[in-house]
Amino acid sequence: MEGTLNDASSSAIEVPQSRQQRPMLEIAGLRKRFGAVEVLRDVSLAVNPGEVVVVIGPSGSGKTTLLRCINLLEEYESGTITIDGEPIGYRFDARAGRRLRMSERDVAAARARIGMVFQSYNLFPHMSVLQNIVAAPVRVRGIERRQAEARARELLAMVGLSDKAAEYPIRLSGGQQQRVAIARALAMDPKIMLFDEITSALDPELVGEVLAAMQQLASDGMTMVVVTHEMSFARDIADLMVFMDAGVIVEEGKPDQLLFAPRTERVRAFLTRYNDRYRI
Amino acid sequence: MPFDPHFIARLIPALLDGAAVTVELAGLTMAICLVLGLLVALAHAARGPLGWIAGSYIQLVRNTPLLIQLYLVYFGFSMAGFGLSGFASGLLALCAQNGGYVAEIYRGGLQSISIRQFDAGRALGMRRWTLYTTVILPQVVARVIPPLTNQCIAIIKDTSQVAAIAVMEIMKITEVWVETSANTYDVFLGAALIYLALTSIAGLIGKLTERWLAFAQ
Amino acid sequence: MNELSPLIHSFWYLVRGAAMTVLMAASAVVPATIIGILLALLHVFGGRLTRSAILGYLFLIRGIPLLVLLTFVYYLMPLTGIDLPPFWGVVLVISLYYAAFISEAFRAGILALPQAQWDAARSLGMTRGLMLQIVILPQALRLAAPPYVSLCVSLVKATSLVSIVGLWELTMASREVVERTLAPFQIFIGAAAIYFCICYTLALYGRHLERRVLLGH
Repeated sequence: MEGTLNDASSSAIEVPQSRQQRPMLEIAGLRKRFGAVEVLRDVSLAVNPGEVVVVIGPSGSGKTTLLRCINLLEEYESGTITIDGEPIGYRFDARAGRRLRMSERDVAAARARIGMVFQSYNLFPHMSVLQNIVAAPVRVRGIERRQAEARARELLAMVGLSDKAAEYPIRLSGGQQQRVAIARALAMDPKIMLFDEITSALDPELVGEVLAAMQQLASDGMTMVVVTHEMSFARDIADLMVFMDAGVIVEEGKPDQLLFAPRTERVRAFLTRYNDRYRI
Repeated sequence: MPFDPHFIARLIPALLDGAAVTVELAGLTMAICLVLGLLVALAHAARGPLGWIAGSYIQLVRNTPLLIQLYLVYFGFSMAGFGLSGFASGLLALCAQNGGYVAEIYRGGLQSISIRQFDAGRALGMRRWTLYTTVILPQVVARVIPPLTNQCIAIIKDTSQVAAIAVMEIMKITEVWVETSANTYDVFLGAALIYLALTSIAGLIGKLTERWLAFAQ
Repeated sequence: MNELSPLIHSFWYLVRGAAMTVLMAASAVVPATIIGILLALLHVFGGRLTRSAILGYLFLIRGIPLLVLLTFVYYLMPLTGIDLPPFWGVVLVISLYYAAFISEAFRAGILALPQAQWDAARSLGMTRGLMLQIVILPQALRLAAPPYVSLCVSLVKATSLVSIVGLWELTMASREVVERTLAPFQIFIGAAAIYFCICYTLALYGRHLERRVLLGH
């Protein structure tokens, strides 16, 4: 049946065995401007291995920009980002006293270890589902095709879409496409997964199946940073919740604490407006 | 040899005379085609036998070269007894060709209007006439200006082909001067510059029209 | 029926002319397409100097009639001493002319892709080269296929212009026959019909491609 996941594949993902005390993702002093506007103002965040961090906040708060800076889809003016101890995008040169841009090849290699799923138009429409999933492992990581295809089928089974391997994206529903997008990102064996409002463009009845897939991923121990509007889902899945507004992290804390006993007025105002329309 | 100022002083008025003919020819063609294209587009949209005739006409002129149409009109008509001048033949052929293209531009413009515009207007209680004149037509006009500008530029360039039937526009004058003088570069440079000027002006008029229309709304 | 006899007698001659037309068009289309794709890529990804150069090139091609360029090369060739057969001379000019339009069609295709396609490819760790090869270009070329075919039709028609500078193909052949038989109507209509067969077939293929593009892949 659609939407349910195999319990048998609970260990389908291998959690990277990094030392538990080192954060998987470290963002320090991130600053970014678009022209005259500062969209990220001295943002710092640490995410431990296996942790799920959910970022919430009003639109324009910089949450999507923050996500996109992590794998350098956006450039930023200052700050450092480290994945599992390795800097990404820029290396700080102590001798020169400033940051140096890493080569395109290094950046691409770093991106390969970060999985990202977008709001829409994720999949490559001219390739079948299976081709979508194996394209990067084969062409970027040099994995043998047969091996990549076997892994792809495993991942498709995990998201409940085994029978869609030969289909083209245009024949899938929005929810199915997003689940394939998750499988495709997982095929690269990422250390961390980024989700940029991946259910926002979906019809309501398709949202559940995608959230279930993300829930499964979290239970399997994947490190995740999620930007979402789905508050009850955020509460269920998050180990840490972060509230952003106008380019700064206003407050962070455990979900129940942030949602029901926020310390700052801005968070309270945001949640009240949210609660007037929905229930958490 | 190149850039002989005396030569250029004699060349420019000659080229400008040719430019006058070019502008006249292109201007008349554009004016006629705006109307002709609209009629053909309406006929095409009407379905039935009239629609089929309009559709065939469009396919015919789009899939045959302008030069053949020029020769057909010029030599064909003179053989039949009512010979047309080079200019008249050129005008007829140019209008025939570009009428088809303009009709397709109108069709594209109308098709690109979302069906919801019609629904929205009707939901507001508008009758057909009001709907078309206040909602649909302004949008069609706005969408149609850029491709029409491009078509105008194409027409200006197409006028060069009437040199083949001895009309004294820019291309023909260029030919004559190149044949009778040694300053090949100067003559072609002059011709190229004039064509660039004419097409740039046409493009500019198009952009200004777009902006003026957007402002007027 | 003896009205048609000049056409029937010369039909085979015209068909041979058409063969030359097709040969010329095919010879020009290949370099035009290759150069067009390269120009499109340079235009999208190139530095400021490259892009300015390409914009200048596009401006010249857009504003100067093909006939002027053909005539210019025709007069220029003997002067430069380059020993190029006329056939390849005109093929070169036509290729360079249409490469500009083709590059704009491909560039539009590239730019029409949603940003998420670029993001998704980059986030999977693809380098720019790989990304272009398996994600961007396959989609962009499919999107650009309908206008590209349209340009090919235009190119076939443009070969008629080489008759004005004295090269032999269908239009020149039909002029020769008309001079001999003094039956311009029949012969030019016959030539038009042959052009129509070639171009309409191409146009139908273009429409078939358009429908495939709209339907997804």
